[in-house]
Amino acid sequence: MSVIPVEGARATEPVESAMSPGHAPAGQDGLGLEHVGKRFDSVQALVDCSFSVPRGRMLGFLGPNGAGKTTAMRAVFGLVRIDSGSVLWDGCPVGPSRRLRFGYMPEERGLYPRMPLGPQLEYFGRLHGLGARDARDAARAWLTRLGLEDRAGAKVEELSHGNQQRAQLAAALVHEPDLLVLDEPFAGLDPIAVRMLAEVLRDEAARGAAVLFSSHQLELVEDICEEVAVIDRGRVVATGDVDTLRRASRRRRIELRLEGAETGWLPGVEGVELVERRDGEIRLLTGRDVDPAEVLAAAARTARVVEFRYGPPSLAQVFLELMER
Amino acid sequence: MSARQMVALVARREVRERLRSRTFLYGTLILLVCVGASAAAPALVAPETTYRIAVTEPVPQGLGPALERAGDPFDTDVRLQPVGSAAAGREALEDEDVADALLVLGDDRLVFRTTVDTELAAVAESAVRTVRGHAPPAPELTADTLDPDNGESSDAAVLVAMAGSILLLISLSVYGQWVLVGVLEEKSNRVVELVLSAVRSRHLLAGKVIGIGLMGLGQLGLVAGLTAALFVAGVFDAPASLGVSAALVVSWFALGFALYAFGFAAAGAMASEQQDAATAAQPLTVTLAAAYMVGYIAVSADSGSVLAHVLTVIPLTAPLVLPARNALVRVELWEHALAVVLVLVSIYALVRLAGRVYDRGLLHTGPRLGLRTAWRLAHRP
Repeated sequence: MSVIPVEGARATEPVESAMSPGHAPAGQDGLGLEHVGKRFDSVQALVDCSFSVPRGRMLGFLGPNGAGKTTAMRAVFGLVRIDSGSVLWDGCPVGPSRRLRFGYMPEERGLYPRMPLGPQLEYFGRLHGLGARDARDAARAWLTRLGLEDRAGAKVEELSHGNQQRAQLAAALVHEPDLLVLDEPFAGLDPIAVRMLAEVLRDEAARGAAVLFSSHQLELVEDICEEVAVIDRGRVVATGDVDTLRRASRRRRIELRLEGAETGWLPGVEGVELVERRDGEIRLLTGRDVDPAEVLAAAARTARVVEFRYGPPSLAQVFLELMER
Repeated sequence: MSARQMVALVARREVRERLRSRTFLYGTLILLVCVGASAAAPALVAPETTYRIAVTEPVPQGLGPALERAGDPFDTDVRLQPVGSAAAGREALEDEDVADALLVLGDDRLVFRTTVDTELAAVAESAVRTVRGHAPPAPELTADTLDPDNGESSDAAVLVAMAGSILLLISLSVYGQWVLVGVLEEKSNRVVELVLSAVRSRHLLAGKVIGIGLMGLGQLGLVAGLTAALFVAGVFDAPASLGVSAALVVSWFALGFALYAFGFAAAGAMASEQQDAATAAQPLTVTLAAAYMVGYIAVSADSGSVLAHVLTVIPLTAPLVLPARNALVRVELWEHALAVVLVLVSIYALVRLAGRVYDRGLLHTGPRLGLRTAWRLAHRP
């Protein structure tokens, strides 16, 4: 399978090979970035950046700090003037009126601190084209959904940090956008808030919205996203659905638990490296061509094998593998 | 959604949020109290005024006591001084130490030197009516001035000119800084990124300037309204042209604000932290203060000089100089027209330039932008 990684030199071709069948190609349906380039003085922020987020799907946008995630997201809203390429919705270039149907949660959170929450959400609803009554109803509905109904009259600066995060989410969602773009939405959230946000995002995708969000929490992304795009130094280095990406990796993961093994035991099979030992569990990484039976046999020779798992690496490992290149 | 709707939404938010803040309400209240106090002040400082009124003979019986009684409610003392003829009365009136007004009973005329004193006019009117045994409302007397076009500005006109230009200077600075702080606030707490994801920067800028400008116009309108009401009620001793002066102050606030506000907005977008606000505003507040000072000196030295004429039409100084000069001397219609045209052209040019600086500055993070960097950013495609 010629899935990943897309070599840097070949990144000029649309990256869609790992897309599962049935999905529209880039830019045909939902959001599409095509060959987007952007340079800031001495820094090339985006290089021929292409990926797509179909309607009803959720795409996790991964990459190390400074890779260009935020620039790509801001380009969707015209907050960054791109030098080349295009941002498309349903195959058509995105303009100001189309953007009114998009919802955005910027990396730098911010609302009007002294404006009460309810009127503020209404205002953002109206800026996105809702009528006065619709905006009021939508604001109230989101406040209720996010458990903020009794804080509608409070100024944003009076809200707790967690509630400000919810308010920010509501501001992005109040107009029921066709596309939802969230920059690091999970950063700094407690586990309950993470679960709540994940549910909201799933519901938004189920409603038919295209959802794009960036995150460094790769386990979480693996949990809630079907698809990811990985960007490094401005280039999209991999894109596709999570399972395909994992299976396409040239590595495999082995996790085993032994009883009676010497401390510091290693299978001694070529191409097998130790990832970590924790609580009696040994985690190994091997090449795809290494036969797991060899590892199992080596383990069985020295101790009793209680658990043995073999499979594709986690998304986090795939990500590190991509970054090593 | 149309551009107009977008601008209206932004402007409405500006107005609503500011009406919600107590600062604005207290500020307005303080201004109104100041106007009221300035009306009451003369009465407090000089609790009893003495008017000397020359009356052409024959003086009707009982006019003296009637004048005294009519003056009581105003805390004024009116002294009657008979004169042989209207010509003799005119002579008396021309000498400030002899008479404040001349009552020519044959013509039913009350003549003042240069400006009509509404209080004395009311007292004389009431006294003559009492003596003649007439009932209101038909007026008994016509107020007149000896030499209205003598080219000399009355004290009241000077006061109006000074008050008008100071009010304009303060309003332009205060509301200009509101624009700057508003822009900077949106930028420094990052809400601007969310707003700009839906609204174009020029619509945001226009809405902000219009919203804050309307607040300023409303506040000035209230002050002008109260002044006019006090004038009509006879509390103020003001020149007859006060209405025109008030209208000029209000309309030149609108033009001056439009001119300066875009500059303030660009300055706000160039700054990055709230602490920078004062520094960022400095070039504009200094310009305003300099325009006021130069205008004040030039106009008070000689309101007909070439410099005064030039300052009347230059866009940066016109908002502060034109209304003041107009209160003192007659400003020709062509000067009014030229000043308006020039300021409109400047506003158009500034909107384009400041709009670009604002647009580029808003999303620029990091240290305060210098003028040169802002200029470079503004000219980048």
